[in-house]
Amino acid sequence: MFGLLLDGLALTAQIFIVTLIGALPLGVVVALARMSRFRVVAAIARFYISILRGTPLMLQLMAIMFGPYYLFGLQMGPDWKFWACDIGFILNYAAYFGEIYRSGIQSIPRGQYEAASVLGYSRAQTFMKIVLPQVVKRILPAMGNEIITLVKDTSLAFVLGIAEMFSQAKALAAREVSMVPYALAALIYWVFCLLIEFILNRVEKRLDYYHN
Amino acid sequence: MHVVDLQDAKKSFGKTEVLKGISLEVDKGDVLAIIGPSGGGKSTLLRCLTMLETLDGGRLAYGDLVVAENGPDGHATYAPKKVLAEAKTRYGLVFQNFNLFPHYTVLKNVIDPLICVQKMPREAAETRGRGLLEKMGLTGKEHMVPCELSGGQQQRVAIARALAMNPDVLYFDEPTSALDPELTREVLRVIRELALEHMTMVIVTHEMSFARDVADKLIFMDGGTVVERGRATDVINDPQHERTRLFLANYQQH
Repeated sequence: MFGLLLDGLALTAQIFIVTLIGALPLGVVVALARMSRFRVVAAIARFYISILRGTPLMLQLMAIMFGPYYLFGLQMGPDWKFWACDIGFILNYAAYFGEIYRSGIQSIPRGQYEAASVLGYSRAQTFMKIVLPQVVKRILPAMGNEIITLVKDTSLAFVLGIAEMFSQAKALAAREVSMVPYALAALIYWVFCLLIEFILNRVEKRLDYYHN
Repeated sequence: MHVVDLQDAKKSFGKTEVLKGISLEVDKGDVLAIIGPSGGGKSTLLRCLTMLETLDGGRLAYGDLVVAENGPDGHATYAPKKVLAEAKTRYGLVFQNFNLFPHYTVLKNVIDPLICVQKMPREAAETRGRGLLEKMGLTGKEHMVPCELSGGQQQRVAIARALAMNPDVLYFDEPTSALDPELTREVLRVIRELALEHMTMVIVTHEMSFARDVADKLIFMDGGTVVERGRATDVINDPQHERTRLFLANYQQH
């Protein structure tokens, strides 16, 4: 039983990692678009964020899973569910991350940009070297929340028939007529989150060398 | 040729005209103080000179580099980006709130612009940075971060950072307004030393006795215009205009 749950955990971890790899950088794009001087770009970003935050992730996953067939009549291969899952999670989390980044970017005092400008830093240098490192420190608690949420949200992949840990627990519970698999899964999710918390704490401590 | 040459500078925010045609020239070795009441346009003037704001009208040149000039429509037209980048190497600005980069150590604050903007080799930048920090009395603080320093120390780091770029002119925007009297003294002492070395400086300040002692030229600004200008000692000891007199009298009361 434990083995099957651990098989599920591998998929859970995979969804978790792929989502972070995709959504962390995509969130920067979303944040920058949302703050763009070009109104059309900003409006598109706002609409994107609104849709992805305003509808259930479960529905979004299903829409991506079945959309190609119902909208375009495309027959997707058997692997499509994994792609749909990754795309759905990345798009959804990029919307949340984008808003967190935006709050961080907007909290950086104007004086930082002005000092950088007078010293001759380019716009890209100013963002990458001066603004972003400070943003990371400021948004870490909010990001921590979101990342912990992601650990548990991976269970939504069960609607696509992906055998991640929650699906496995469900199947096991049905087969064994027992609640134990659920309890065990809960325990594993919690340990997963503890690990994330530990890492986040380490990062927070490392960035604790300055205050402002 | 003037180090800084500003002619007929105009700037409005919405319908409020903040600069109503200001002209000033700064020559090598000059120390120019700009005084005047808050809202009189001093900060805006400095922000236009340092390109943090764009002029609506007028001409601005740093030596042979023309940064902005009135076009045929009477509006200031700015030079291409390359020229502006070059002009930025000719001046430095010390802010009221220091605006150091909090995540960088003291030394990195001073040398990072040298390495990243001026493409100076790291070793040379470090040598220059350490030298300037020593001059500012900050030896031993190289590896601290700004939040570990007092305001006066932070401001001296900011001065070192600006000096590191080897500018032709150094601007100060009320460099001691965020500091208590004791810290003010140590920052003013540093500026005074720079004046003795004939560093070209433009200083917006509320420290009247400092302006009188350190500056050779002085401008009194109010309502977006230059009300009075002249030798610093003359203007402060014997103002010619009523508005200058009132302003200075208010100061002496405090």
